[in-house]
Amino acid sequence: MMARRVVITGCSAITPIGRTRQEIVRHLLEGVSGVKKLRSDGLLTDHIHSGVYGTVDYPIEYDFKRSHSKTMGPVSYYACQVAKEALEDSGLDQEFITSGRLGVAFGSTHGSPSAQRSIYKTFFTETNHRLASVGAVDYLKSMVHTTAVNITKMFGITGRVISSSTACTTSSQSIGFGYETVKFGMQDAMLCGGADEYDTTTVAVFDNLLACSTEFNETPHLTPRPFDVKRDGLVVGEGAGALLLEEYEHAKNRGARILGEVIGFSCNNNGGDLILPNIDGITKTLTLALETAAIDASEVDFISAHATATKMGDVIEAQAIGSIYGQGPVVAGLKSYVGHTMGACGVIEAIITLYMMKERFIPPTLNLEQVDERCAMIRHNTRIMEKPIRTAAVQNFAFGGVNTCFILKKIDG
Amino acid sequence: MHHLLRRDGIMGRDQIRSALIKIFREKFQIVEPGVDENLRDAYEFDSIDAVELLHEIEIILGTKLTQAEKKSAMDIRTINQIIDYIEALSSARRLAKPSDFEENLSTVEQ
Repeated sequence: MMARRVVITGCSAITPIGRTRQEIVRHLLEGVSGVKKLRSDGLLTDHIHSGVYGTVDYPIEYDFKRSHSKTMGPVSYYACQVAKEALEDSGLDQEFITSGRLGVAFGSTHGSPSAQRSIYKTFFTETNHRLASVGAVDYLKSMVHTTAVNITKMFGITGRVISSSTACTTSSQSIGFGYETVKFGMQDAMLCGGADEYDTTTVAVFDNLLACSTEFNETPHLTPRPFDVKRDGLVVGEGAGALLLEEYEHAKNRGARILGEVIGFSCNNNGGDLILPNIDGITKTLTLALETAAIDASEVDFISAHATATKMGDVIEAQAIGSIYGQGPVVAGLKSYVGHTMGACGVIEAIITLYMMKERFIPPTLNLEQVDERCAMIRHNTRIMEKPIRTAAVQNFAFGGVNTCFILKKIDG
Repeated sequence: MHHLLRRDGIMGRDQIRSALIKIFREKFQIVEPGVDENLRDAYEFDSIDAVELLHEIEIILGTKLTQAEKKSAMDIRTINQIIDYIEALSSARRLAKPSDFEENLSTVEQ
């Protein structure tokens, strides 16, 4: 089977710590958290114990035509904005974008939950019930693949569409499946990523499972605390990210700026419990990723851990990393800065890793003050480290027992 | 609520037009479309928009439209044709079931 090199030629992110590379890097260097107090939604917030959220609290100027925006919920606004910027960043021309050689791999956790609420509200409120009607665009805003197809519509993309919706591994799968699609010659480029809008439903779900942080509601910047002895759970967040993956020769021949290379990807399932982290499944995923990349564990300089700051998740992940890598690569939990952006977390963590590769530094895991001894077998980072990263692993694990890991490599020049 | 019905159940074209212009501005971000402009060509007003507009018309009339009535609207392209459509629906309801029409009217007026 044909196996081609796949490089990254464009990226863009909307995160709780900023939009641009400069802003995000500055906030990482200054230890600024994007976690804020949970905003009231007039529905669920009074029933939720967790009072924190990874928040995008700055305005975003959208310049979308009505014919495009009318089928978008907030999640698709995020998705189309980062897609637009990633395409612009890549420098791909309109002829290629619409040629059928470019596909889209993009997803979200729920579609647009605010659009779904609108549908339920139509039928479960008494006001004007006789004339109640689901809006013509409500489904298009709320369906699971809404981000992917709003992107194809906006840019006239006619290639493949993949729309994973696997909670925390959504955008990792987008990147991984997009990578495989280009690697094996089905498309010459894939626009990959994920997005999730501000949504208290997800908070309520994790809160009900006692997985959310609740002890830092008055000091949101002090949570989440991956690997820390005082960690008390995850912090849900919002955001989006897009990567343009492109076949290497195509990118080189058109003189594209190459931000990095995807050299491996793995995805598996624990084959059992849908919630509990599973060391065998996770260890297997991390091992498979190295095998697909055809590299040794000693070649990895940095690991972006999933590190949600749940009690057991961090321990299992640390044990899995320790069993494969020992104290080799530096490990950081980037969710400590932005919260758990769910369907966007994999791609946001990939983009932040690319920025770190470019700027030659590794930020500390924020709020990691005292490492839990059960997580102590890996090389944690509690200060800003000036260090070139040649190769990095980005790992994510989801409800449903889905595990992913992809390997990024820096390309000089 | 866009209430356009007089006690006699007759709606003036000017009233309907004003209400439509308001709906197009607020719901579809289409400002002052010409009454004979082809909405699809000029504003990309498509079938999805048409379904949204039909719901607004139901609110204007204070009554549900039948599936047949909705399907008959799918070839409409201009504001003038929409006004004709609303006038016809209004008359049909007034003639068919005047008592129901009065009931609808009172609901809309609340």
